[in-house]
Amino acid sequence: MIGIVVVSHSPKLARAAVELALEMVGVAGPAIAIAAGAGEGVTGTDAFKVAEAIAEVSSPEGVLVMMDLGSAVMSAEMALEFLEDPDIPVRLSSAPFVEGLMAAVVRAAGGATLAEVEREARGALGAKQSHLGDEDPAGLTVDTGPAAEHTIEVTLLNPDGLHARPVSMLITALSTLEATVTVANLRTGQAPVPANSPTALLTVGARKGDTISVAAAGRQAVEALEAVSDLVGKGFGELGTVPARAPEPSPAQPQARPASGALSSGPLSSGPLSSGPLGVSPGLAVGPIVRMPEPLDEPGPVAELPVSEREAAADRIVAASASVALTLREKAARVSGAARGILDATALMAEDPGLIDAAVSRVTGQGDVPERAVWAAVGEVAAVFTQQGGLLAARIPDLNDVRNRIVSELLGRPAPGLPDRSEPYVLVARDLAPADTALIDPAVCRAIVTVEGGPTSHTAILARALGLPAVVAVRDALDLPEGSVVIVDGTTGEIVVDPTDDQMVRAEEQIGRVATFDGTGQTRDGHRVQLLANVASPDSVAEAIEAKAEGVGLFRTEFCFLDHAEAPGLDEQVAAYRQVFAAFPGRKVTIRTLDAGADKPLAFVTAADEVNPALGIRGYRTAWRRPELLDTQLQAIATAAAAEDAVVGVMAPMIATVDEAVDFAARCAAHGLHNVGVMIETPAAAITAGPILERVDFASLGTNDLAQYTMAADRLMGELALLNDPWQPAVLRMIREACQAGLAAEKPVGVCGEAAADPMLAAILVGLGATSLSMSPRALGGVAELLGAVTVDQCRDAAVAAADAGSTGAARSAAAALLEPARA
Amino acid sequence: MTNDTVTLDQLTGWLTRFRDLVTDQVSYLTELDSAIGDADHGSNMTRGMGAVIEKLQASPATAVDELFKGVGMTLVTSVGGASGPLYGTFFLRIGTEAGPVATLDAPGLAAALRAGLGGVVARGKAEAGDKTMFDVLAPALDAFDAALVVSSDISSAARAAHTAAQSGRDATEPLLARKGRASYLGERSIGHIDPGAASTALLFQALSEILDGE
Repeated sequence: MIGIVVVSHSPKLARAAVELALEMVGVAGPAIAIAAGAGEGVTGTDAFKVAEAIAEVSSPEGVLVMMDLGSAVMSAEMALEFLEDPDIPVRLSSAPFVEGLMAAVVRAAGGATLAEVEREARGALGAKQSHLGDEDPAGLTVDTGPAAEHTIEVTLLNPDGLHARPVSMLITALSTLEATVTVANLRTGQAPVPANSPTALLTVGARKGDTISVAAAGRQAVEALEAVSDLVGKGFGELGTVPARAPEPSPAQPQARPASGALSSGPLSSGPLSSGPLGVSPGLAVGPIVRMPEPLDEPGPVAELPVSEREAAADRIVAASASVALTLREKAARVSGAARGILDATALMAEDPGLIDAAVSRVTGQGDVPERAVWAAVGEVAAVFTQQGGLLAARIPDLNDVRNRIVSELLGRPAPGLPDRSEPYVLVARDLAPADTALIDPAVCRAIVTVEGGPTSHTAILARALGLPAVVAVRDALDLPEGSVVIVDGTTGEIVVDPTDDQMVRAEEQIGRVATFDGTGQTRDGHRVQLLANVASPDSVAEAIEAKAEGVGLFRTEFCFLDHAEAPGLDEQVAAYRQVFAAFPGRKVTIRTLDAGADKPLAFVTAADEVNPALGIRGYRTAWRRPELLDTQLQAIATAAAAEDAVVGVMAPMIATVDEAVDFAARCAAHGLHNVGVMIETPAAAITAGPILERVDFASLGTNDLAQYTMAADRLMGELALLNDPWQPAVLRMIREACQAGLAAEKPVGVCGEAAADPMLAAILVGLGATSLSMSPRALGGVAELLGAVTVDQCRDAAVAAADAGSTGAARSAAAALLEPARA
Repeated sequence: MTNDTVTLDQLTGWLTRFRDLVTDQVSYLTELDSAIGDADHGSNMTRGMGAVIEKLQASPATAVDELFKGVGMTLVTSVGGASGPLYGTFFLRIGTEAGPVATLDAPGLAAALRAGLGGVVARGKAEAGDKTMFDVLAPALDAFDAALVVSSDISSAARAAHTAAQSGRDATEPLLARKGRASYLGERSIGHIDPGAASTALLFQALSEILDGE
């Protein structure tokens, strides 16, 4: 049983408190020693008396010291310096004196460990708080430091709230500042957690739109709050470029597609949503299967550590955590981009003081061996994450990864991780930890197949970043024999095991072929379709020119506005737009005015508290609130266009009514802009495309949003990926509606969404009547090649078949059947 | 009078002088403490320093570290309030830093005092402006160090430290207490000099006076 020391200014107070506590347990209570008063009736405390009291009740299980206030705390701290037996674990409790003492005595009498007694004592205020209605449901409230001197409340703007990446940015930003910072989510009302613990911060569960209260104490408290406010205000750099859920994915980030073929789960049209293999990173690869090493097993129970060895054992945990973090940082230094950020975040988690303290106290308190202590400490956090579900639950692989690394380090085993191969292979794993995915060398690892994971998992994001084909949710992947050759199609999700020679030859042909674009988009029979590039900033112009794009079909202007607290000025915009216009003299550049809102919130135009931002103030609607922003932008576009030789068109995003189109055209005319168009992204605009096109010069279809609104399926929800598919016949009919209106009005209608980058779908779009296709530059080659291999009539026939099909699967099959012969 | 070194006798004299000053000013210190604390700082310091000098008279120290460690230990057991561990740690660290020597030169004394300040910070976790003894100790030691840059005369450095200590003490008056029992008073702690700051100012007064041969 642990011993308890009671330190008080007043011997009377101490005796009364002890008496009260002992009433609860009678004679069976723990050994209690009082260190109160400074001798001869003097009120106060004496560090030596405290040290003596600790020695008096010391037991191998440890001693808990309860204190009242002021000098009692300092004397107790000082007493630790005077202890004779440094092996006895001693903890000073911040628990309330009377309540904490009572809780501690009761728990100690029950044989609880030092750590357990200490935790119980610290939570002892709960009953009173709950009774009086100021309850602090302090599941994870730990050492939140001194009383806060400064507090701010900020609202999260970035799409996923305080998830892993923002958490590590926050911790990194605060790490150099002398301040104790805590964070609480006002929505949940949960108690504040320390901002130096990634696991604790993740449990805050703060989502986009939540307001968090951030409190800071210490010399640089104000700087700390400024740093937090800055990061939050900039949406942790995730506004507009959402890595996990790219709003308008480039061909490297397609929406998840259902699988077909060897391992698919059944007919595409009727299968449950997202239940079968999902291609999450496009491309084709061939190689022998290599499985990830089996995961580490939970260390078995062994005898309790003798007290004399516990401190050294605890030190090993600290050392192992530091060593793992160092290794991860070294690895981070060797990579870049997303991989680096994830490795850095994992390193932070490996050193999480919350985790490490919990593991250490299991060793010092109850004599766990270090590897079991780490395992259990992580398990506790993982349980909380599981309970909270959602994004937090998605962090559990990261946690387990950290656990495995530290435990391996403790056991002296090589760190778990990727197989060390120099020959090409296809990696098969139950799930990939981010730290593993980050280290994949695309020169040898040719594709990734996992049992678990979804379209927004780390595996998917990193595979796309590496350009590696990846298929996730392949339930029986681990049954595939090691070494057997597979063809992995990350576009369709198809996996062919032990392919025939014929299949191999075709696959290798397809892999080896590099499609290029000669600069003139047309079908085999000479039907012209302009093939244009999507450009998101002046930086991406070079890539578009390199790919021989005929011009720019979508010049997004959000880059100009992101990371700004207020809209950029006229001159800044003119300079930026001119850079892009200058790169395409005599060519078409279609520039889109600011498209903010929904998944692209901008502090100065969008409200954070919209219940349903995808159906809220976004796109052109933001001009209702800030019309002057649109006028400034149109003026900038007019000025830039006048200074350069590009054939500039300007279009508005998210138009829903004819009136909006009229209004936009009038505003453009006021600035001297005459080639005016609108984006067709709503079903409303698609079915009124006729009257709209009477008022403007052209239209451009945004297929991602058009699919989202036609199917009433949030495009940010991975679970709805099957509905959010531009191959949905309903979406194809919407597109046809708009294209036919264009043909009737003899005005161009192009497509600038994701759909245009899928070669087969591009052919369908041409068949539906699209006059131009705009896409990420690297998709141009593939699209140009397929178009060049088919006739416009084939496209039209395929389009009719696809739009009339009963399902996405049938639409694809029909299109493939009608287009394929011409390619062969 | 100039001093390039301080002897064990002078250091003992410093402590004796400090005892005298806190004894003389016991009611002043207690009055300050009654405004924002528990009205025991004067009596605590008098009792503590009384015990210190009593012990030293019974068995004089033979080295600087022995002197200050003894002082620290005695204060820890006899002061009672927060000043016990704070002053106790201050002197213990001075002793540890000084080591078993018979005299200290100017840099030696400066380093020892600085170590003492480090101890106070570690123990009390106070920062500048918290309205504590730190607000006197820190500027006094800064002034002490600054004076030594110009001249190695410890007496003039001690005078500079004393002046800075007085300013530091007076500057605690408008502050809001953020540490110790006074912090429970919140706004009401404003307008009162911190008693710990006042006794610390006396410590530098004692050093200055003893080195000036007063």
